[in-house]
Amino acid sequence: MATQVFKIPKSLKENMKYSFCPGCDHGVAVRLVAEVLDELDIQDRSVLIASIGCSVTAYDFLDVDSVEAPHGRALAVGTGVKRAKPNQVVFSYQGDGDFASIGLAESLHAALRGEKLTAICINNTTYGMTGGQLGPTTLLGQKTTTSTMGRNVEYYGYPIKIAEHVALCDGTAYAARVSLDTVANIRKAKQAIKKAFEVQLNGLGFGFVEILATCPTNWRMTPEQAHERVRKEMMKHYVPGVYKDITETK
Amino acid sequence: MITEDITNKKVLSKGNYAIAKASILAGCDCYFGYPITPQSEIGEYMSGKMQELGRAYVSAESELAAISMTLGACSTGVKAMTSSSSCAVALMQETLSYATADELPLVLISVMRGGPGLGNIYPSQGDYFQATKGGGNGDYKLIVLAPSNVQECVDLTYKAFHLAHKYRNPTVLLADGLLGQMMEPVEFKPYPYAEIDNSDWALTGAKNRKSRVIRSYAPLADNQCKFVEKLFEKYKTIEENETEWEEMGTEDADIILVSFGSTSRNVKTAMKLCREKGLKVGFFRPITLFPFPNKRLNELASKVKKFITVEVNMGQMINDVKLAVNGKASVELIHKAVGAPPSPEEIQSQVEELI
Amino acid sequence: MSRIVIDKNKCKACYLCINECPKKLLKIGNETNSLGNHVVEFVDLKKECLGCAMCATRCPDLAITEVYRG
Repeated sequence: MATQVFKIPKSLKENMKYSFCPGCDHGVAVRLVAEVLDELDIQDRSVLIASIGCSVTAYDFLDVDSVEAPHGRALAVGTGVKRAKPNQVVFSYQGDGDFASIGLAESLHAALRGEKLTAICINNTTYGMTGGQLGPTTLLGQKTTTSTMGRNVEYYGYPIKIAEHVALCDGTAYAARVSLDTVANIRKAKQAIKKAFEVQLNGLGFGFVEILATCPTNWRMTPEQAHERVRKEMMKHYVPGVYKDITETK
Repeated sequence: MITEDITNKKVLSKGNYAIAKASILAGCDCYFGYPITPQSEIGEYMSGKMQELGRAYVSAESELAAISMTLGACSTGVKAMTSSSSCAVALMQETLSYATADELPLVLISVMRGGPGLGNIYPSQGDYFQATKGGGNGDYKLIVLAPSNVQECVDLTYKAFHLAHKYRNPTVLLADGLLGQMMEPVEFKPYPYAEIDNSDWALTGAKNRKSRVIRSYAPLADNQCKFVEKLFEKYKTIEENETEWEEMGTEDADIILVSFGSTSRNVKTAMKLCREKGLKVGFFRPITLFPFPNKRLNELASKVKKFITVEVNMGQMINDVKLAVNGKASVELIHKAVGAPPSPEEIQSQVEELI
Repeated sequence: MSRIVIDKNKCKACYLCINECPKKLLKIGNETNSLGNHVVEFVDLKKECLGCAMCATRCPDLAITEVYRG
């Protein structure tokens, strides 16, 4: 008798179909969040804060109560939901532009206040929905539609290492960076997402996961080449790992 | 139920404190704010009182965050508010647009100061446009209530929470630095409105029901058209049901002075001074700036020769009066840019010049 | 017997699963779906599938909807 080892998580809407481009890692990230909601059995008391960018569509797929935040304000909206209803599990699903550019103040202040929130941030080194412009995480040398000769420090300044910044905040309970480039790393990513929810459930503080992800369309690459770029370029600068975990016993 | 602030007799209170106390009595569950003169007393009062009552208070990192936190709290169906002033209310416009699209019962206390830019902390009515026309994107309306004394700061704060929840639309209490800082005798009666059921839309977790999405993003053009048209149906209902104004001496008037908020106090006195001089002058004060009392002004326009709006700005409400009057009578302006309203005597002499 | 189930209408033809399969049981098929994509096919004549679910874990579109091991 064969046992089922993979199924569609019940925290995803019935008959939903992703609207992401072929090979985009968003689909994997949203699925991992759904699997974690299933495993922790929190779907029916969770509220998703949707952000602006490709990430906004998360509310079309995740079968949870959701509210859309103005661009960059996801964790301020999340703070409002959580303070109004402390027993709800509140999490944001954001891109790097939303979290670390327009919303950097809201993001870091939510972490500094130690809001009992979980934030999932997709880092694909570009503004995907608007067609691949330079964002806060665009790597030095990377060509985008607004850095056609490659990002240089003189014109554009440096890219931000998000997980490290979040880890510096005293209210952060857990901050990690993961990658979706291999199946093994996808499994690690899920454990990190789970941990970021658990610190909220245990009232320990702010939980954060930065997910290195592909944008094959705007990178002008095949999905395979895109994962190769994650390994060879992104993971060198944005090193995966756990940057803070207050539950860790030394 | 909080009873300690309910009084059956009048007490002396500053406008800002009156607004804050009234919010507590209205059952405000969450306050989010960032300091700015001349309304900082609201946040100061709330910070202590909300903690004492076990309600939510967050000292936000910016006005952008403060109003977005309010939006988040409102999405769960609770009563939530923020307060601010002019140049900082400017920062809140984006989220006000979202909150109207999301149909959320957000309450904003806007205590006007001088502008444009940083301006100054003197009273002003320079944000009539900001409140009634909005700086956010898209077609939307905020319900706007304009108190003229400290008692109305209380009564209209109650009403702001009521209307926001009744119509699921952001509602602004548009006060100014004069009202915020002045002290007057005031009575705090219990919140007079029934609680409104929000169990059919509030985000409380999808337990034993389908999940809900509060969103403004509508990628298909047709959906967006239908949605905006539905919003405007709601605004029509609000106009029919909630338009409020005060009028005096309009029955036999040749001239009607139109004024809102704190300025209207001196205008009312000026009207009496004019009457003493034998001039047939009436007084009209919109209490709801949206919905604006268009219909009543248009009726009055058939009987009078002239309307004169009195405002502490370069002439903003006058545009709405002109639209309401629709050419039936002339509309003139008495005003100053910023500061305390013109005195009754100044208004009276300017009225005499205009006729 | 281990096996997978593919929802052909969800396949966006990124073909990430093909390289993931340790037994090389997935290939680009001739059939197209409503999106016009040549969808991935699962061909396991020698009953080699391990039920490792690496294909489903990798698939960004949940086009591999079920995996059975046994």
